[in-house]
Order: sequence, then structure tokens, then C-alpha cells
Amino acid sequence: MKHKLPLLTLAVAVSTFAVPLLAHHGNAAYNYDKKIMVSGTVTEWIWANPHCWLKFDAKNDSGEVTHWIVEASAPPTISAQGWSHNSFKAGDQVTVTMIQVKNGQPIGRFEGDVILNDKPFPPHDNGSSSNPKGGPKP
Amino acid sequence: MPKRCVFSAILLIVLLSLPRLVHAQNAPGTTEGQAKQQSWNNGPPAKKAYVGKKSAPAPRRNLSGIWNAAAEGGVQPKGVLEHPALLPDHPQDDIGEQPDESKISRPLAYTPLGLAALKANKPGVGVRAVGPGLVNDPVDFCDPQGFPRMELFEFRVLEIAQSKNQVLLLYQFYDNWRVIWTDGRALPDPKEAEPRWNGYSVGKWVDDYTFVVDTVGMNEKTWLDNAGRPHSGDLTVQERFHRLDYDTLELTVTINDPKFYSQPWQALNKFVLHRLPDDYDIQEFFCAPSETADYNKLIGNPASETPQK
Repeated sequence: MKHKLPLLTLAVAVSTFAVPLLAHHGNAAYNYDKKIMVSGTVTEWIWANPHCWLKFDAKNDSGEVTHWIVEASAPPTISAQGWSHNSFKAGDQVTVTMIQVKNGQPIGRFEGDVILNDKPFPPHDNGSSSNPKGGPKP
Repeated sequence: MPKRCVFSAILLIVLLSLPRLVHAQNAPGTTEGQAKQQSWNNGPPAKKAYVGKKSAPAPRRNLSGIWNAAAEGGVQPKGVLEHPALLPDHPQDDIGEQPDESKISRPLAYTPLGLAALKANKPGVGVRAVGPGLVNDPVDFCDPQGFPRMELFEFRVLEIAQSKNQVLLLYQFYDNWRVIWTDGRALPDPKEAEPRWNGYSVGKWVDDYTFVVDTVGMNEKTWLDNAGRPHSGDLTVQERFHRLDYDTLELTVTINDPKFYSQPWQALNKFVLHRLPDDYDIQEFFCAPSETADYNKLIGNPASETPQK
């Protein structure tokens, strides 16, 4: 199934988030009231402690490119949900559901569904996660 | 064909088939790749894996094993958002900013000195969360969590090993470890001893299933938790490990710091740890200063900047 999503789709504005994510570096910078979905091309996936992050480029309808950085939780947390150090590679097509920082910078945190090369990611759940959609959690 | 040759041929076929037979014994629904992955860098099972499970009796005077501290409430078991003193007014998803803890139903009994120290600590989460750029949590800069914060924040997997004179506690988060001496030595005088991030610990069995640890001598650079609760150099901590059965360990942590708190308080009260399989491989979790610097440069600092008008 193809997922044809607009490049910058402002999605749901609900406050049903279960827990604050990624507590190491504070949560106050992020807008927890609104999720957005952004599609683009992966440029780099950094597997690091205490947080991992994905860099990808998104083009708008005018062809302008925005360099996004989306942080995930720590390797031990997301490993348990099927993520790994080689989950993404440059050139992959992704659609990321995230929350964005309040100041408008193209920085976000994974929060919800991820589509990787037209398939749901992560591809399997090994039973460690109570979140079948695979988004990072503490 | 001689019988010996036939036998040899059959034996060879059986031997060549062995790897497939072994792989066929993977758990139902798992692929070979997944099974291999599960033998290294394991992720803890969800809480549902423990519910209703029958356990063998607790062994006598033995805490050894690999324990999951994250099954009950995640990696912040009681450290901040779920702290008993904060419930029920502030559920876990309340990350609003409040200047102090005065609106909390059962606030901790801070002394004036303790309250001043609390206000100097600017956490990024919890009821006292400050805005980005103002957080001064030492852990954000890869400082050691220190003790007892390592049991009040990011308390993930804990391996316990015992030897003749020591109980060793190996904490997954930031790959930290402590030595509990059981050789009968006395604690050092904290006024004379060099301050340590994790303090000085001695332990003893008070019955066959309860191990009590006393710790002194922590330096004053650490917070008690990621909510920014402070401690002074006078802090003493008592841990009470009680093994309920083979698979279940309870931990109670009592904070006693008369300089900052007018009475002792329990940071953990019979907090449950579940035993993990003996072949559970603890994934490393260092705080890498270079990676943290990259994170702050690319994410933390830009996220904290004031919006351009």
C-alpha cells in the first residue's frame, strides 16, 4: 500500500499522550498538544546515548528543502521495540509522526506511526513493547 | 556398497542436518534472525510477562541474579512524576511548570536550607520543570547519577552478584556499579572520608531473605532524582532488599538527611523487581560525552532558542 501523505500534514490536536517521552533532557521545549507528520529522505541515522536521532530532508511544494532532526529514545529502550543501529540508511523514504519544538525549529521527537519505504516501522514487535505502533517510549 | 559406507553416509547426512534441526527449535513465531538477536542486547519483557506467574521459594541469603526494575512503571519508577508524595494531584503526564511543591498534597518536609537547595536545582521534568535552556540537571552533561538517584531515575536492569565479602550491584543505566561490603567493616566517618558519587556502603542480612544496606559519604554534586530534590553531605540512605520468592525482589529506600529534610522519608516503598532469565544480556548504556555534546549542539540547544520574530 502506498502512503501518499502531504509533506507537512498537521495532524491530530489531541492530548492523549500516555507519558512524557525522553525525560533526560526535559520536555518543556516540545509542544505536546499537536502531532505532525512529515515525509522526506533520510540523510543520517545516529545510534547514540543517551538519545538516537534521525536526520532527513523534506521538500515542500515549492521545492524548498527543510533539514529535519527527530530524536528517539535511548538504544536500550527502542531496541526492545524492534529498532536497531541499522534501521535507517541514507536514501530511505520516511514519513514520521512527531511532536515539534515550540520555537518552530525543524526538530521533533518521534511520537506515533513511522512509515519506512512504504512499510510500517518497526516491522515486528518482539513483545517487549506495549505500544504496537512502535513509537519510542521511556 | 559395504554396510560401513552406508552407515557413514547416513551419519554425514544427519550431522549436516543438525543446524537446521536446532534452528527449528526456536520459539514459535520467531525467525532465525530474531532468535539470534534475542541472545544479545535483550530488551526487558513487558509487565504482562510476570502477571500470574508462579515462582519457586526464595533461596536463603541470596540476591544473585538479573533483575528488571523497569517492569513496574517504566524507567522512572518513583523518581519524579510518580513519587508517592506527589500523587494523586499530579499524574504522570502532568509536566506543567510550578514554582515549588506547595500545592502538592503531601510535600516533603524540607528544612529552610533544603528548600533553598531545591529551588537552586532546575529540572527539565516534573512539577517544577523549567523551560529549555534553564535546566541544570547534572546528568544532562554526563555527570554520574550517583547514589541513590540510580535507583530513583532510569532504574532499568540491575544485576546482583555475591561473593564472600561483597554484594555487587551492576546498574544498566550509564553502566554504573556499587560494592556493598559484607565483611563486617564499619562505615567510614563521612566527615573524614573522601566524598564519593556512590558513597560508602555496608550490608548485612537481618533475616534469611532480607538484606539491609547503609550508605554514607555521597558528594553534594548529585540530585536525589530528576525532579531536582537535593541532598546535603549529611545524607544517609538505607536500602532494604527483601526477596519475596525466587522471581521477586522488593526494595525500600529510606532517605535521611536532617540538614535538608526534617524527617526521614521513603523514596521507594517495597518497589518490585522481577527476575530475568540467567542468559539475559544487558545492553550497554553509557553516557558518551561526545555523543551528548553532538545531541546538545544539534537538538538540545536549537530547541531551547527563543523563536525568531
